Amino acid sequence: MTQKLFIISTFAALLFSGCAQSAPDLTGKNNVSGTDAISGDTVSINENNYGNESGMDANGNYNSSSDGFKSVYFSFGDYAISPSMEANMNTNIQVATSAGAKIKIEGNCDEFGTDEYNYALGLKRAKAVKDSLIAQGIASSKMIMVSFGESSPVCQSPSDSCYDRNRRVDLRLVR
Amino acid sequence: MQKLLVILISLALYTLTASAVDATLKIEKDVEQRTRIAIVDGSAMQDQRIFNMFLSDFKVSGHFLADKAHNKGDIASSFLLPNIKNSEYVLKYALTQKNGSKLLIRLFKTSDASQVFKKSYAIPSKAKVPFLIHKAVSDVNKVLKYPDISWINRYVVYSTYTTPGLSEIRLADYTFNYRKTIIKGGLNLFPKWANEKQRHLYYTSYNGTVPTLYKLDIYTGSKNKIISSEGMLVCSDVSRDGSKILLTMAPYGQADIYELNVATGTKIRVTKFKGIDVNGRYTDNEQRVLFVSNRLGYANVFKKSLRSAATSQVVYHGRNNNACDASGDKIVYASRESNNAFGRNTFNIYLSSASSGDTRPITTTGSNQFPRFSRDGAVVLFLKQRGNRTSVGYTNLASFQSLLFPYNGNKIQSIDW
Repeated sequence: MTQKLFIISTFAALLFSGCAQSAPDLTGKNNVSGTDAISGDTVSINENNYGNESGMDANGNYNSSSDGFKSVYFSFGDYAISPSMEANMNTNIQVATSAGAKIKIEGNCDEFGTDEYNYALGLKRAKAVKDSLIAQGIASSKMIMVSFGESSPVCQSPSDSCYDRNRRVDLRLVR
Repeated sequence: MQKLLVILISLALYTLTASAVDATLKIEKDVEQRTRIAIVDGSAMQDQRIFNMFLSDFKVSGHFLADKAHNKGDIASSFLLPNIKNSEYVLKYALTQKNGSKLLIRLFKTSDASQVFKKSYAIPSKAKVPFLIHKAVSDVNKVLKYPDISWINRYVVYSTYTTPGLSEIRLADYTFNYRKTIIKGGLNLFPKWANEKQRHLYYTSYNGTVPTLYKLDIYTGSKNKIISSEGMLVCSDVSRDGSKILLTMAPYGQADIYELNVATGTKIRVTKFKGIDVNGRYTDNEQRVLFVSNRLGYANVFKKSLRSAATSQVVYHGRNNNACDASGDKIVYASRESNNAFGRNTFNIYLSSASSGDTRPITTTGSNQFPRFSRDGAVVLFLKQRGNRTSVGYTNLASFQSLLFPYNGNKIQSIDW
């Protein structure tokens, strides 16, 4: 029985190997290359001309407001200036009144929002500060707003106080 | 009373079943309907990672039930091992990586050991091997006349934060096994493919005083400035023919949606709400725009005609639906389902219809965001955060099969494919 099985197996193996097709050569003329769309080499661009405009100092550390301005902080998901920010806003009004250059107002969010909506939320915060300055007589044409969404946290530890610091508006002069 | 008890138990079981949608691999389609296929590695240097890529491609197609055994065999031979004859088909492959990457595949029908299909693929890059495998599997799928899965061949483009105030724009294959940085230096965000061929992409540069939108040729590096805006600027969607784009911009200090004719520079303001209007997506044969707005006091999904003021609410579920995508009549949206000011919230992705309003969950656990339809609308991409693990998820809407690929990298800012 074992012998029979061995003979049959051997015969079958020989039969199959006899039928085997030779593998097509990878460079043969019958080969088809379907890789046109992915074979091209893509670029690598370095846009390393990033300036100091969004608060990076010379040492690469991120600072909050500069030029005498004070950052304004917001509650979770909110874009109304709270009464606790009154002192900071008073400082900002004084600095803005005497500023000799355009003022950049930067809206920022915590890390928990994503996508476009978070950038729009940062913009609403910047707009709240801008409107407050306009109400105190600062010309709208003297200010420019940019929302940085969640891209520019000043604090990265997982703590409540850290998240609070990131929901903010920074102000600085445009250089 | 007994009847009532039976009904209550049935309802409870149904609820439990419905909430289990988000398993790593969920199979709703009858397993028996899918084609059983075995994979035989004929490479001189056999690599488990390569085999796993074949396996996941077959899985995510929704059309195949792939044997998980990493079989080895001779690619030149038509002999099929007896232990793999339970499968209807056998795919033999051989990968070589000398002076680039070359992949040879042979597809056999197990019933008569006949060769159904053979093809070879060659590219100069070694790093792009995942694309060779995706192409091979999509070709096998096509040969066997299954619905198209060519979406697995497409590039994914995403922006990722590297340090505060800095980001990079990268390319990846859909599994993220291939990754390449194409733009670094500064803050460059919101990449969006400009055309179906994925030769050009739009992105927003924050490297000037105000955000500026550029269009980049990813093969030559040439780029054109499209438009600038104070406040924020995002290319949210591109029309099918690539001639028009939907922008979120804020020239008047409020985020609104605009449509820009790229060739002529003509721009129309689509929304004029004094709150937040973002995330515009073409829908209804590009006659209307789906978008996210806080006009009811919370983020929700709305629809508006491009030519008239008529605006209607589309989603009647959830209290914070802050991102959406559209494909034909279908919409997907991310819904925040917790309200935690001091930690990560639960976000889930829902599939709905712009006309009927029928809604079903695509995910049920973790934080799931960035829902994005494939170009043919057959598959939804999303990012899942669960604990400290981030994954890129894909749900096939026909088979309702989901697959997660681990993403080990910095936080993703935006993604398109």
